[in-house]
Amino acid sequence: MATPVIMPRQGQSVESCIIEWKVSEGDSVNVGDILFGYETDKASFEEESQVAGTVLKLLVEDGDDVDVLSNVLVIGKAGEDISEFASADAPSEAAPAQEAPSEAPEVAISKEQSVAPIESSVSADIDKISPRAKNTAERQNLDLTKAQPTGPNGRIIERDVMVLADKGYKVTAAAAGQYAGGAVGSGLGGAVTTTDLSAAPALPAVVDAAFTDVKLSGVRKAIAKAMHKSLSEMAQLTHHSSFDATGILDYRAKVKSSMEALNLPNITLNDIVLYAVVKTLRKHPEANAHFLGDSMRLFHGVNIGMAVDTERGLLVPTLFGADMMSLSEISTNAKALAASAQSGKISPDLLSGGTFTVSNLGALGVEQFTPVINPPQTCILGVCNITYRQKKTADGFETYPAMGLSLTYDHRAIDGAPAQRFLKDLCNALENFDVLLAM
Amino acid sequence: MTKCLVVDPAKLRKPGSISFSDIPMNTYQKKVADEKGNYTKDEFLRMYRDMLIIREFEEMLNLIKTTGEYEGVAYNQPGPAHLGIGQEAAYVGQAWGLGINDYTFGSHRSHGEILAKGLSAIAQLDDAELMDIMKNFFGGETFAVIEKTTKATSVKDMAKEFLIYGTLAEIWAKQTGFNKGLGGSMHAFFIPFGIFPNNAIVGGSADIATGAALYKRVNNKDGLVVCNIGDGSLGCGPVYEAMNFSAMDQLKGLWDEQHSGGLPIIYNIFNNSYGMGGQTCGETMAYSEVARLGAGITPSQMHAERVDGYNPLAVIEAYKRKREIIENREGPVLLDVITYRISGHSPSDASAYRTKEEVDMWKDVDSIVEFKKQLKAAKVATATELTNIENMVKADILNAVNLSKDDTLSPRMDLDKTPNIIADMMFSNDKVKSMDTTREPDMLEAKKDNARVKQLAKKVRSAVDENGKPVSKNKVLQLRDALFESIIDKYYEDPTLTAYGEDVREWGGPFAVYRGVAEAMPYHRLFNAPISEGAIVGTAVGYAMAGGRVIAELMYTDFLGRAGDQVFNQLSKWQSMSAGILKMPCVLRMSVGSKYGAQHSQDWSALCTHIPGLKVVFPASPYDAKGLMNTALNGTDPVIFLESQRIYDVGEQFHEGGVPTEYYEVEMGDPDVKRVGTDVTILSIGATLYRALEAADLFAEQGISAEIIDARSLVPFNYEKVIESVKKTGKIIVTGDACERGSHMNDFARNISELAFDYLDAPPVVVGAMNWITPAHELEDHFFPQPFWLVDAYHERIAPIAGYTAKKNFTEINQLESTKKGI
Repeated sequence: MATPVIMPRQGQSVESCIIEWKVSEGDSVNVGDILFGYETDKASFEEESQVAGTVLKLLVEDGDDVDVLSNVLVIGKAGEDISEFASADAPSEAAPAQEAPSEAPEVAISKEQSVAPIESSVSADIDKISPRAKNTAERQNLDLTKAQPTGPNGRIIERDVMVLADKGYKVTAAAAGQYAGGAVGSGLGGAVTTTDLSAAPALPAVVDAAFTDVKLSGVRKAIAKAMHKSLSEMAQLTHHSSFDATGILDYRAKVKSSMEALNLPNITLNDIVLYAVVKTLRKHPEANAHFLGDSMRLFHGVNIGMAVDTERGLLVPTLFGADMMSLSEISTNAKALAASAQSGKISPDLLSGGTFTVSNLGALGVEQFTPVINPPQTCILGVCNITYRQKKTADGFETYPAMGLSLTYDHRAIDGAPAQRFLKDLCNALENFDVLLAM
Repeated sequence: MTKCLVVDPAKLRKPGSISFSDIPMNTYQKKVADEKGNYTKDEFLRMYRDMLIIREFEEMLNLIKTTGEYEGVAYNQPGPAHLGIGQEAAYVGQAWGLGINDYTFGSHRSHGEILAKGLSAIAQLDDAELMDIMKNFFGGETFAVIEKTTKATSVKDMAKEFLIYGTLAEIWAKQTGFNKGLGGSMHAFFIPFGIFPNNAIVGGSADIATGAALYKRVNNKDGLVVCNIGDGSLGCGPVYEAMNFSAMDQLKGLWDEQHSGGLPIIYNIFNNSYGMGGQTCGETMAYSEVARLGAGITPSQMHAERVDGYNPLAVIEAYKRKREIIENREGPVLLDVITYRISGHSPSDASAYRTKEEVDMWKDVDSIVEFKKQLKAAKVATATELTNIENMVKADILNAVNLSKDDTLSPRMDLDKTPNIIADMMFSNDKVKSMDTTREPDMLEAKKDNARVKQLAKKVRSAVDENGKPVSKNKVLQLRDALFESIIDKYYEDPTLTAYGEDVREWGGPFAVYRGVAEAMPYHRLFNAPISEGAIVGTAVGYAMAGGRVIAELMYTDFLGRAGDQVFNQLSKWQSMSAGILKMPCVLRMSVGSKYGAQHSQDWSALCTHIPGLKVVFPASPYDAKGLMNTALNGTDPVIFLESQRIYDVGEQFHEGGVPTEYYEVEMGDPDVKRVGTDVTILSIGATLYRALEAADLFAEQGISAEIIDARSLVPFNYEKVIESVKKTGKIIVTGDACERGSHMNDFARNISELAFDYLDAPPVVVGAMNWITPAHELEDHFFPQPFWLVDAYHERIAPIAGYTAKKNFTEINQLESTKKGI
């Protein structure tokens, strides 16, 4: 008897996969041979054959987006009847073809496949259906528009849905039984009964964890909204780089030792990074910009948004006119701004207007991360911690302190190469900080 | 209905006349001066004080209701206040000689009765007894308020504060009140002082008080029972039923010597001449004098007399004489206590039905003013002494007002914090094998010697024998036998158990459940009640309330209407209205008929399930019948026990091993899967089970596998099994013999719709009896659900069956048309 093979479901949320055939009709396959590759939006997999035989029919085209759990090919003995396994729902790409006048009339198909599934659909307008029938259909991915209602007053009831399963999806369900193990990792062995056919594939047992519902604060709600909006509307990606921090560490040590003598503020690594960012942005106006859909607003000055962790949640106060400030001014103003945000009494005017944002998680030991852009800015720089790396020198290998930088940018506004050029320039500026100070 | 009583035509047809004795009217005419030798000064002053406390208490409520303040203390009392201003002498006179073993039951106008009886109890109890009562009542919650605030130096004074406070806090719905605020003004009471529930239904106490008197007689308890009702209540049938019940001939002629004699009860009619606004004498009633009625009840004329309730000494004297009559087992007694309420029926009463002159005439003879005059005239007390008492009383009432008003000291139940606090009081859910473990049950023979017990030992306990062959009706243990086994076991276990109803003793009940009990149990434990459904249920309420276990029987459910108040307002409510102090171990058996037409063939289960506070069961197999009766009889909650006349003779078809001989319980609320199936669930109520099983065979012919669930209980009910079944089948038919409209089937259907909505393939279908009268037996098949109806309903409303034609019209159009017509 011919065996259908389904598109496995790689995880609960996966609805369809792109298929790439590794076999052709008429090929002989053994158990373990690769039948096809398939790709979700996140990963690629290969499907091995569970049976030996001849590939009788490929039910979908190479590159089709195929619904999970639907049949994709049939393996059996050459010449076997495979009509019962015809896929019930053709991939959506195939749909336009039906409109082509040159296609054979539908009647011919149903004649040819006497047991075949789908009588031409009654009505796609389903206004009467029992909750049970609806749930069963949803669970089994059945196409309700094909259902023939037999309940009182034209209501679709469970048995009508079961007919859909029997005719069009019986195979799918049976195959799901065979493949459920491989697909979702919970193994269904033994014979497949009709009851099993109507049952959903077994999934790992669900264990509810205890929980407490905590109401969101206003700040939390605003953050949630902003973050989700940012990620859902932009084309964000992140580059990670690092630079040799020896120079800035030395510089900082120097400043620290002469702080009192020169009446300097306590200049931190973050201040130094801010300063370097401001100077580097001069050469990269697209990174100091707002993306406005059909235009870019390139700023002449630099207003740096500083991500500050506060008791109420993340706040991003703006260091206005940073390009006009010396390093010690940046240091003084940044500290005052952060303190004001943490006190919870910061003016709302200071929480917007940034042209570029810096988020520093280095103190928390982050090696790299993907900061989320504060729209409509085009970039955000993540400052990471210092790790020790080795670089090859003429004498061999030398250990140096490497500070990580993660730049997230909006690919709608900036392409990868210019973004990386900005990051590279920034790294260079920081590695040669004494030179930068001279600028 | 007993062979020893001969109905002799010669005697009954003999000419002659009935003579009556004179009925005394206000024979006592003495005053304080005449009684100085019989009462001490303290006693006279206590009478005066007690009357004043009641007067001031009622005046205070009147002021609160009408002006919103008392002595400058503001309070808003939205609830009722039926005041007894003017009736104080009657209250105090009655309570004077009553002890805590004498139980009083009252009406909606009973604040004064509570205070009078409470003050009398305080005077009689010693300090240790009083402290014990106060400290242990509701774990000392009420007393704590007094203990915290009192300035009293004696326990008796503290007890007085406790009494006034507990009553007022109750009226104001405070959790520290005598019934946690769940009784309120019209239902307050305090059992430790022998003050039983007051009743907001006019005459409601008559049957209940009679039941308490029955309890005293059956269980040989000391004390008498006083039923305080008004002249207005004499228009109520159940009051007549109660009086007759308390005096029925068998009490003297048939009950054994230890238990013989009319019941120890005094029907005390506080005759204030008004039933609300209707004037009893001259307008709504025909008796002319209340005292005349006794002559219509018993040859002793109920020892009725009229007593001047405006003279406390007259009432005290009457009670002294009547107590002797009760103690000589010559009761019951009827007292026509003349009184007058100067206050309106309630503060909103404009007294449109009486003149100011009439009220003034009574004010002129005000009992308290008159008593004060007599005290002075007889030189019992000086004016100063009397004024001191008056001031003390005012201070006592003001103190109670301040304490009760204070929401910190006297909070209300917090239904926000503890939303289930009342729900948890609806049932006591206790399991008590015997209500009195201190004595052996009265019996006529040992259980093993009972003829029916011996006969049942030979029965086959399953409907089929070990070879799978059906056992004949005569050899099988029938449902009626299963009920008998449960009941007879409890008779030998609980000495307080008594059972009565119509035709239960020699006949064994029309359906022979009690057959054989008459040989085992003396009259006082199984007797034929008068055809007084109100009294049958009402006395059972009183019997259970007083501490006994009782099975009352209404021969047909159709007679439930006759006992409506007793089931709907009394049996169901007193556990929760007492905040859990009272228990109600009462099983009310009712058979559900067929074959007997419109007034004898109705399943009225829904009337009972609608009322909160009742458990309702309807077993359909002998195993379930015995198991549920065991559970009901072992519990302390009121249980409506429905039995179908169709199936008293069935054997056990479902439980493996048949009906056990030993004790077992079937949990109330647990439905039972009687047949397993996969395609449609049928939830049946009562005897309809057997037609549902036949329907399952019809379904099988259509290739449809039906699962049958027997509800067994209606309240409580655990839906989990039903929902599990519906998850499997997706379809459910609820069926029973009640008329469909407003039935409990509809309640089932609604809950299933909600709880199993996502699993349903069609709305639950209810197949009940037609919304008609039950026609004659010959036409009944068109009225009660028949097996094919279920298949028809399935075909029309759930999933049409190919090639099937329905015979009965279950279409939606028919449903629409029928409901339009009120059918």
